[in-house]
Amino acid sequence: MLSSARTGASLALRAKPTSHLVPYRAAAAISSSSRNDASGAVQPHGGYGIAKRERKEVPLPSQEGTKGVVQYALTTLDQITNWARQSSLWPMTFGLACCAVEMMHLSTPRYDQDRLGIIFRASPRQSDVMIVAGTLTNKMAPALRQVYDQMPEPRWVISMGSCANGGGYYHYSYSVVRGCDRIVPVDVYVPGCPPTSEALMYGIFQLQRKMRNTKITRMWYRK
Amino acid sequence: MSYLTRTLGNLRKIGFKEFWHQLNYIGDTKAGVLVGVDKFGNKFYENNEELPLRTRWVDYAKHDHDAGHIEPLWHMWISYGVDTPPNQDPLAVSNRSWASPHHIPNHTQTRGAYKPYNTTKPKIQAWEPVAVARQ
Repeated sequence: MLSSARTGASLALRAKPTSHLVPYRAAAAISSSSRNDASGAVQPHGGYGIAKRERKEVPLPSQEGTKGVVQYALTTLDQITNWARQSSLWPMTFGLACCAVEMMHLSTPRYDQDRLGIIFRASPRQSDVMIVAGTLTNKMAPALRQVYDQMPEPRWVISMGSCANGGGYYHYSYSVVRGCDRIVPVDVYVPGCPPTSEALMYGIFQLQRKMRNTKITRMWYRK
Repeated sequence: MSYLTRTLGNLRKIGFKEFWHQLNYIGDTKAGVLVGVDKFGNKFYENNEELPLRTRWVDYAKHDHDAGHIEPLWHMWISYGVDTPPNQDPLAVSNRSWASPHHIPNHTQTRGAYKPYNTTKPKIQAWEPVAVARQ
């Protein structure tokens, strides 16, 4: 009852600019007379349940074959570019919490990220990939977005740990962003609380795999 | 131990074909003993003359390789968790009925990738901004 009155009131306010000020209750009363018409126009909301759409099978970019001379030539170009990209990943470290400690362990001799061409950069303008390690708070979110915007293309984001993935332990906190993918687009999610250095390294390998399958000049040629 | 004589010496041991193959996948020239092959055809090598933590390496069976293709017991060996490879370890061939007979690979970037979904009813009814002309 209450919700219908509210809908009616808002509809009445939206319909036409009134010449004189109508009190809120009165507007609700007026519009409730034409409620049937309004409810006919309003479509029920679909909701976010399991999608009942038909499955449309499209081959993944990695499953598409190579056709023609031009595509073979461009594939080679892509391979060279991707090789250069994947073998010198310079991460922008966005260490926010305890995950950052594991991220630091990745650069220490046991896992030795330098052998993979991964060198931490202090400036976002020199980096390719941002590793969001830790809890992203509401206060930090604008800074994260700004740093992401300062990174040059092409850029990637690794979300490390459950806090960065979806809020994690602090999901119901008043001051925490429920996942850094609400602020920046994320390529790889590394689960764990915190993930081990090995897990982060595996995430980096997954990102390299994603880069290997990226079609750069082929997509340009398609256009 | 990445000087030229080492590379040339290893090249003499493994031949040009293997040299090119390793250059494409490992990015180094290594010669070692084939320790074993797992169920998926990944080949595991060892050479204790190399620097520490570079003594064991894998030659993946698939071109689109991924560390998740390695079997769990071999993963333990290649990440220096155990010293005995699982094909020589009596513990590895013992009764492992509790373990899954099939290794589940990582389905990321394939059709089987995990997609989050929701099975609950939506808690909010969104407002439809439809304005009906007054009668």
